[in-house]
Amino acid sequence: MTIGIPRALIYWKQPYFWESFFENLGFKVLLSPSTNKEIVEMGVKVADPETCFSNKVYWGHLLWLDGKCDLIFVPRLKANEEKLEYCPKFFGLPDLAKILVKTPILTETFDSRREKTERTFEKLGGKLKKNREETKKAQEITLLKEKELKEKQKEEFFKKIQSKKQKIVLISHPYNLFDDYVNLRMKEKLEKLGAEIIFIDQIPTSNIQYPISNIQFHWEFGKEIMEKIQEILKYDIDGAIEISSFACGCDAVIKEFVEKEFKGNKIPFLYLMIDEQTGEAGIQTRLEAFMDTI
Amino acid sequence: MKKPVITFARWGNYTIAFKTLFEQLGLEVVPPEKTNSQTIAEGAKIAPEMYCFPMKVTLGNYLPALKKGANTIFMVQNVGGSCRQRYYGVIQEKVLKEAGHDINFLDFRVAPKDIYSAIKKISNASFWQIIKAGRFFFKKLRLIEKIEKMAQDLRPREIEKGATDRLLTDIFTKLEEIKEEKEFPRFKKESLKRLRGIEMEEKKDLPKVGLVGEIYTVCDPTINFEVESKLGREGIEVHREMDITYHLKKLIFPWKDWIIQRKINPYLKSTVGGHGRDAIYEMLHYIKEDFDGVIHLLPAFCMPEISVRPILEKIHLESGIPFLSLSLDEQVAEAGIDTRLEAFIDVVRDYHKNKRL
Repeated sequence: MTIGIPRALIYWKQPYFWESFFENLGFKVLLSPSTNKEIVEMGVKVADPETCFSNKVYWGHLLWLDGKCDLIFVPRLKANEEKLEYCPKFFGLPDLAKILVKTPILTETFDSRREKTERTFEKLGGKLKKNREETKKAQEITLLKEKELKEKQKEEFFKKIQSKKQKIVLISHPYNLFDDYVNLRMKEKLEKLGAEIIFIDQIPTSNIQYPISNIQFHWEFGKEIMEKIQEILKYDIDGAIEISSFACGCDAVIKEFVEKEFKGNKIPFLYLMIDEQTGEAGIQTRLEAFMDTI
Repeated sequence: MKKPVITFARWGNYTIAFKTLFEQLGLEVVPPEKTNSQTIAEGAKIAPEMYCFPMKVTLGNYLPALKKGANTIFMVQNVGGSCRQRYYGVIQEKVLKEAGHDINFLDFRVAPKDIYSAIKKISNASFWQIIKAGRFFFKKLRLIEKIEKMAQDLRPREIEKGATDRLLTDIFTKLEEIKEEKEFPRFKKESLKRLRGIEMEEKKDLPKVGLVGEIYTVCDPTINFEVESKLGREGIEVHREMDITYHLKKLIFPWKDWIIQRKINPYLKSTVGGHGRDAIYEMLHYIKEDFDGVIHLLPAFCMPEISVRPILEKIHLESGIPFLSLSLDEQVAEAGIDTRLEAFIDVVRDYHKNKRL
């Protein structure tokens, strides 16, 4: 049996995790290709015009998978282990996916306010007719692998932070940062302009509770971004760029506080909005202008 | 500390009740400015660009009140569960302070304890006075909601067009002036009598349209370009579940949510924040009640309503009921809304006629 995973949105929250989890359970996994023009066009055509760009891309990936596999995995992420909520647009993803594609949807609700994550995994395994031990083993192997990846990221971060080049922090959701088509190869462009790029996700956070300036987010990404900004401000950085997908409701809130944080520390800050109509040339000009100001 | 002069978020006709609440507590009140295109433009100018519409509207309503001397703003947070409404307070405080207004922002959760302590702190009113003010507030609120419901039935049946709306304006203006609770029962009786006195045609077979969507846009006629009265004057009976009492009832009795969830399980298995689930539930309910159309109102980019809109469209395709979704923001013009409403009214009438054949 093949399980399809769309390579967009929630996939990037834990890249390689779901893939290797299902592989360890003994299934074949079909990952949709990296985002390309056709996928975005497919998604934009079917999506609600006012939903966010990231969601539109997700629908494109779903449609690409439709008919190519036996099940498509769309988890319903509600709250993480710290009992903080995910974006409310994730809550309804499986239901909206069901309307869109004919392939059956495999889903499970991840809400640690209601039940333990292990139990959720057991239920998910149960749906695939795997018993508790098998699921647990698969989960453990996957977690180990993820830990390894995180360690590697940490090393990379410390290497980058010692670099002599101008250091720019890119702030956004993982599904904008790691998807090169969506962010118009921003990393590549900036590196060509002679900058060292640090993704906000790569910044390791220690377990110290940070005095969060004046706001308590109930969103996991909100808290994470604010904490990581506090951490990165301890180092010497030259600029920060926030990328936001058009119509992202959460970013409208977070942007205000991110901007305040950097402007308060006199670090140049650029806010870029991306959508299906953003042209490469326009972004290039703005990036060049930004690099000149630093 | 300076003497607090209160202003608050404007919300349709309910503003009258809120104003009374603060006045009864012995506080000085400058009511927020009536929503018009200028206040909306002013609000949108200082609000974050991608934020949802009600935030820009309420900001625009504060500004003239602040000019008139208000220095304290009341804002309730967490009305909509997982949605952005929760951050209205912090963001509004931030942008107003950045715009150079020296204000005291009271931002509290909708829990009786929190509301009580916030009110106590600002007004020094006694426990008894707060209870009394609360009671008067609810009396006015219930009357406003009752009158709005009656008007929905009256408008399509009135003989002299526009009589109901004229009477409504008059009643609401007078209601705002009532400051003593003991005057209230007589006023209530009188107003209801006047409403019943409107000359009506006995038309039994009227097309019916249900309004669903986000609570602020559905309840505030100045935001939704008076959809209710426009439909009413065209001879269409309008229904809407959503009002403050409905929302408060849901806060106090959580099982209403469980019932809603059970009913909408085939379509959506989780909350999406705000009143997303309620829109689906109400639409299904209207189809069951043999309505002739559903209008979905939402502020542009409202996260919960955008999430459920594909589902509402699916229900519309399955059942064939006419469906119109209007998203409102500072760039929407009344003429555009009117054209779409007119076309929709034609579809509704057709649907109603063909159903009887």
